[in-house]
Amino acid sequence: MTKKRIESFIAPIIMFLLIFTGWEIIVRALKIPKWLLPMPSQIFKSMIVNFPAFWPHILVTIETVLLGFIIAVPIGILLASLITSFKVVNAALSPYVTFLVMVPLISLVPLLMLFMGYGMNVRVVTVIIQSFAVVNMNACTGFNNVPIMRQELMQSLGASRLQSYRRVILPTAASDIFTGVRLAGIFATTGCISAEYVGGNMGLGSQIIKYSQFLKTTESFACIFYVTIVGLMMYWLISFAQKKIISWKI
Amino acid sequence: MENKIFRINRISKSFGSENSDSKVEVIKEISMEILEKEFVVILGNSGCGKSTFLKILGGILPASSGNIEFNGKDYGQEIPRDVLKKFGFVFQNNNLLQWRTTEGNLRFMLEMMHLKGEQWTARIDEMLDIVGLKAYKKEYPHELSGGMRQRVGIARALVHNPDVLILDQPLGALDAITRKMLSYEILNIWKKTQKTVVMVTNNVDEALLLANRIFVLSPVLPTTISHEIQVNIPITARDENIYENQRFNELREMINDIVRSTI
Ligand SMILES: Nc1ncnc2c1ncn2[C@@H]1O[C@H](COP(=O)(O)OP(=O)(O)OP(=O)(O)O)[C@@H](O)[C@H]1O
Ligand SMILES: [Mg+2]
Repeated sequence: MTKKRIESFIAPIIMFLLIFTGWEIIVRALKIPKWLLPMPSQIFKSMIVNFPAFWPHILVTIETVLLGFIIAVPIGILLASLITSFKVVNAALSPYVTFLVMVPLISLVPLLMLFMGYGMNVRVVTVIIQSFAVVNMNACTGFNNVPIMRQELMQSLGASRLQSYRRVILPTAASDIFTGVRLAGIFATTGCISAEYVGGNMGLGSQIIKYSQFLKTTESFACIFYVTIVGLMMYWLISFAQKKIISWKI
Repeated sequence: MENKIFRINRISKSFGSENSDSKVEVIKEISMEILEKEFVVILGNSGCGKSTFLKILGGILPASSGNIEFNGKDYGQEIPRDVLKKFGFVFQNNNLLQWRTTEGNLRFMLEMMHLKGEQWTARIDEMLDIVGLKAYKKEYPHELSGGMRQRVGIARALVHNPDVLILDQPLGALDAITRKMLSYEILNIWKKTQKTVVMVTNNVDEALLLANRIFVLSPVLPTTISHEIQVNIPITARDENIYENQRFNELREMINDIVRSTI
């Protein structure tokens, strides 16, 4: 087991070094101009040197992603519970949830901004829309996959519907729900950046646009790297929560 | 053994909505009386409606018509929730909660029935001891063999000290040797715990080893009771040597004939 641990830890680091060394060598050798493709060393330097300028935007992005995500996950799970428990709710809502998953979010953002302006609200709403649907769909799969015999067990001991839900259906569906939550973590980040792209001047997305308009490609890349770090943080956070909650699976 | 614990009156069951093509009649007018502490076995072909019947008996499904009397009270077509504490149900495939240990699965039952305190905790150990799994308290279902899981299922159905134990082909998914071993174990559990037992099986030897009475269900839907057989083999003869018992062999021949003639 420990050998596998080390492998899964070392392998990505080696890959990381290979990619960035290769990138660095190619840019140097071909003398590619900085505004077109900066060297990783320059990007990392910018990440550190310009950190004070980036920091407020990093904070705004993290805030938006977290806030949207934290609202989206319970909505997604709650809605899935209702959809899978009541046929009427299913018929009424499912088409719209599917619509929200399919529609390219970037096309919705300008509309939302028309209604809500350029502030934090519209970005959080975008994140919620982008991430709740995928939680909802995976949770629905999870709830629908609960074997009927599980419900029969609960009926056989005289449990109420709510008891069955809490004690058996939710735990049985937990791993499918977490698949949705993981995806939602990714979608929340991309959704947030899209919203920041389109309007406003706060958040890493807006900075990527700003710097690239001024051909400050190095700074633009530095922001992109920070976005990646935010995304990875979300991923780790969710994996950590999953391990804590479904410890029996490991 | 004379008290009638169950009085089942012309129970029928169909699935699907009335007057539609999808309607399936599964059970037609089954009546039986079950005595206290009796071991009743229901024998029938696959798909004939054995599980459906047990689910009605165990309060999981309502009957479509007929009525069920339990302990002298008529509950109509469905046994109500608060009475189900008196039942223990063992499912066709163990149906253990995979996120709980052996002990946790038994405790789950007690939690659901609000049974707290020292004596119930002690009862978990006692039941695991009866099924021979005391050493496997901390194991998760996926760490146990099929036979062990089935035994946990039986212990779970007994832990809240029900009056009636309902077993739906508890040994169906097991290999022949384990199956035989466990059938003796069920016999011992019955002797020790003095419960009323209703069990479904498709194995004639098993039925004869365990039953006071056997009900044979007809193989075509809707099913009904085709034969009722009193198994008058003394309890003392029911052990590994039952195969030498003359009555056992006569009854076995008879039931095999019934089963053969109905296919
Ligand atoms: N919920 C349901 N809806 C529709 N039909 C059902 C339902 N449950 C059972 N049936 C039908 O009822 C019949 C009897 O099913 P049941 O599970 O009671 O059989 P069984 O005797 O227990 O079979 P086995 O020995 O294979 O377990 C089958 O034809 C099945 O298709
Ligand atoms: Mg069955």
